[in-house]
Amino acid sequence: MASFYRKWRSKMEFGLFTLPVLICVAVAFYVPFVMTVRYSLTKWNGISKHPKFIGLDNFKQIFTGDANFTHAAWFTVKYAVLYIVLINVLAILLALVLDAKLKTKTWLRAAFFIPYILSLVIVGFIWKFIFMQGFESLGDSTGWHIFKMSWLGEPGLAFISVLFVSIWQSIGFYLVIYVAGLQSVPGDLKEAAVVDGAGPVRRFFSVTLPLLAPSITIAVFMALTNSIKVFDVILSLTGGGPGGTTYSVAYDIYRDTFTNNLYGYGTAKALILFVAVLIITVIQLTIFKRREVEA
Amino acid sequence: MSASNKAARWIGEIVMVLLSLVFLYPLFLAIFNSFKTFQEVMSDVIALPKHWTFANYSYVWNFINYPRLFLNNTIITVLGLAGIILVSSIAAYKLARTKSRLSGVVYFICIMPMLIPFQSIMLTVLKTARFLHLSDSTWGLGLLYWGFGAPLAVFIYHGFVKGIPKELDESAMIDGASGFGLFFRIIFPLLKSVTATIVIIDVMWIWNDFLLPLLMVNGSPTTKTLTLAAYTFVGQYTSDWQYAMTAMVMAVLPSIVVFMFLQKYIVKGVVAGAVKG
Repeated sequence: MASFYRKWRSKMEFGLFTLPVLICVAVAFYVPFVMTVRYSLTKWNGISKHPKFIGLDNFKQIFTGDANFTHAAWFTVKYAVLYIVLINVLAILLALVLDAKLKTKTWLRAAFFIPYILSLVIVGFIWKFIFMQGFESLGDSTGWHIFKMSWLGEPGLAFISVLFVSIWQSIGFYLVIYVAGLQSVPGDLKEAAVVDGAGPVRRFFSVTLPLLAPSITIAVFMALTNSIKVFDVILSLTGGGPGGTTYSVAYDIYRDTFTNNLYGYGTAKALILFVAVLIITVIQLTIFKRREVEA
Repeated sequence: MSASNKAARWIGEIVMVLLSLVFLYPLFLAIFNSFKTFQEVMSDVIALPKHWTFANYSYVWNFINYPRLFLNNTIITVLGLAGIILVSSIAAYKLARTKSRLSGVVYFICIMPMLIPFQSIMLTVLKTARFLHLSDSTWGLGLLYWGFGAPLAVFIYHGFVKGIPKELDESAMIDGASGFGLFFRIIFPLLKSVTATIVIIDVMWIWNDFLLPLLMVNGSPTTKTLTLAAYTFVGQYTSDWQYAMTAMVMAVLPSIVVFMFLQKYIVKGVVAGAVKG
């Protein structure tokens, strides 16, 4: 009897401790997710009472005849690849410099980190001001051609601007991850390499870089998950322009859902984004898991 | 160290400091221009203000009702954070201590949403929130963050609790503590360092968040957040850059001030969060 009571009591306690979080997660994720799946199979403008069930028609149209989506997908893939490569290379280089026992290290780390604590939407606006007004003045006073180019007005340049501003905002985050990683590289290993006659470049590639592997894993993972969802910075910097060339997948979903009121169609795209993120994450996790087992 | 080596060091330092100043130049420009008149902004953006004027600040302060927005941001962030920590820590503790199939399933349910991009569910989150009467209210938005912040918090807490010896619970139980009492008196204080990490990551996220507030509380000027107000404001004053920059500076200033004081802890928390998450 006593043991029955104890068992019942521990079950109650399990429920009391975990039910609140389950309710919160259900409200924030699971209920909306099930609704997304349901709406993705309908045609609905949000005004009529009942969404009309149309099966997989939305998906068929997205994959066969939606130039906006294809373009946004390409944009996102290009953006993600360049973002991941550039931000990691730059952050590692910066981290190596900061690791060289500079006296101004604390200031430098703080300076490069500051944009990361700012809201992306606001960062986008500040840069819009710089590109539109600031560059004009800089061009007048320096005469440099680079300031006279239309950084937000030409498709190719606008893409670079979006990429550049994203990197500017978040490089501090990757920098501190790599600085922390470098600090865990044992100094005597580097000294041993010096004794063996390895130059700085050789030392970097055969001692430092392999030992940075865990940091690189984390940073690449973060860069990928963040870049695939890019939205805020584009909204305020280019607004998707010029000529709709800088729409990302996330922004395209936003446009269809909230600007064009295509609720069913927009949620179908949203579901595709989810599946894409899911596949990429699973692939990434298995690769990293395997590498870690080998190491 | 030889003299030439020392000189190279100094040059390195100077180059890096200059680089960091160029890096931050856009922020300096935004700040300078918020102290200029419209004519001055238009004639030369990069010059320092001739007469520093606070007129832009008093105008924007009143126009967007800054104190109100600041209060809104604070309510949303504090309420959201308190809930995330409470709900996630108790659940993670129980899940880490219970070895059963059910416990494993519940843990999976809790952390699985980390894979769902917000844009995939934004429309239906809005509908759910409307149905529960959580939309168009700062308190409602704060409550919603409990769910959005829980997966990462549960994950981080869970990993940490596993490292706390179970004997601690048992000896506390012998002393007569149990349930919530045991958790809050014995375990929770031990979670201080992870709680700090979660506080830092989540404050930065909730304070600056844009899309969820845009969908939830953008309807009325009394429920807006700082970022939202700056966003709307720039939309209305597309060419009045002096006001726009003032609104930007006012929106980001709290973050920068806090960062200057807590720099060390913030960087540490962000690194810890990334490494564990």
